Amino acid sequence: MQCTDACVFPYPGGDSSLRRMALLARELGFDSLVAAGSAGGEAYGVEIVGMKVPGGSKEGEGQPPHCGTGREGRTITVARAGDYNANRALLRSGKVKVLRGIQCTPRNSFDHILSRIAAEKCIAVDIDMSSLTSGGGPLRQRALQRYADIVRLHWRFEFPVTLSSGACSILGMRSPRDMESLGRLFGLEEDEAERALRTVSQLLSPGRPVEVVG
Amino acid sequence: MKPLPPTLRENRRYVLARIDPPWFETDSRTLYEALAETVTALYGDTGMARIQPAVISVRPGYAIVRCIRSTEADLLAALAAVNHAGPQKVAIRSLRTSGTLLALRRAIGGAVTPPATETGEARFQGKTYASIRYQIEKVDLFENGFKSQELLFLTAEDLEE
Repeated sequence: MQCTDACVFPYPGGDSSLRRMALLARELGFDSLVAAGSAGGEAYGVEIVGMKVPGGSKEGEGQPPHCGTGREGRTITVARAGDYNANRALLRSGKVKVLRGIQCTPRNSFDHILSRIAAEKCIAVDIDMSSLTSGGGPLRQRALQRYADIVRLHWRFEFPVTLSSGACSILGMRSPRDMESLGRLFGLEEDEAERALRTVSQLLSPGRPVEVVG
Repeated sequence: MKPLPPTLRENRRYVLARIDPPWFETDSRTLYEALAETVTALYGDTGMARIQPAVISVRPGYAIVRCIRSTEADLLAALAAVNHAGPQKVAIRSLRTSGTLLALRRAIGGAVTPPATETGEARFQGKTYASIRYQIEKVDLFENGFKSQELLFLTAEDLEE
């Protein structure tokens, strides 16, 4: 698992079935994707990682397992970012792996202190490309500002970052090449974007510390 | 008027892009308007003048877009940000960048052929839809209601369930 779209919303949350999204993901060059409302599995050679939401927010909860692919797969815990206190509590708990929706939160909701905690606990911050591809005007401007802030903090504190299309439709999905191009809009370099696309696999199977034997 | 000799002309880059959904028929003008709107939104009028995007050709499912050399990264970002062409929701996915049209056409060869589509009717979740099936697995469903036009992207396997 080297290249992962860190969040998609298949049918019934969106207009495309999970299998169709997996088929397109394979064509675009992904080998896995994180899908809301799925228990995980595999379709068309693409690994589907389920999205678990602690406390059960709107994302990924209560959706029928229509898009299940038969095989029980891996899941990743994703939380929606909120104000500063909520983010601090989420990061301190260490129960989440990815914090998403940071572009919808106030500017002071993620600062250098939370960046340090995220780096220590190895919690990723998700950069959702749907804010750039589906909307324009003030929403896109705000998302670009917030992502530029996140990238600056990422350079300084080196917490993991994931890239997601946040797509509800196959028309919202973007290839790794397109994600890299969009990443340049807010200062994410090509190699950093490639690393961000690999982050989900690293979060799911973290490397163990080196043990000295003998 | 005598044309500029090639050495005095500005160098350009050509981008091959895939248009999804492939059954959507568009023309250069509609695509250019969508691209120009996005480039202006992202980079402003100065950016538009610097990039000078142009749609060279459109075939069903594919398009070739041109820009000034060294602005191709900006053009790729703008292509990725396009979400509508006219009234239709679309995705434009850049596939390859080249320095000459000839090289691009040679590289794509026969690979760029529109998928054969098969139209019909299909039932899904108790409703009847008009369907377009292509590339064996892919099925797009349309519901033409009075109030809205629902569009679903599924696979043949989803319909069999």
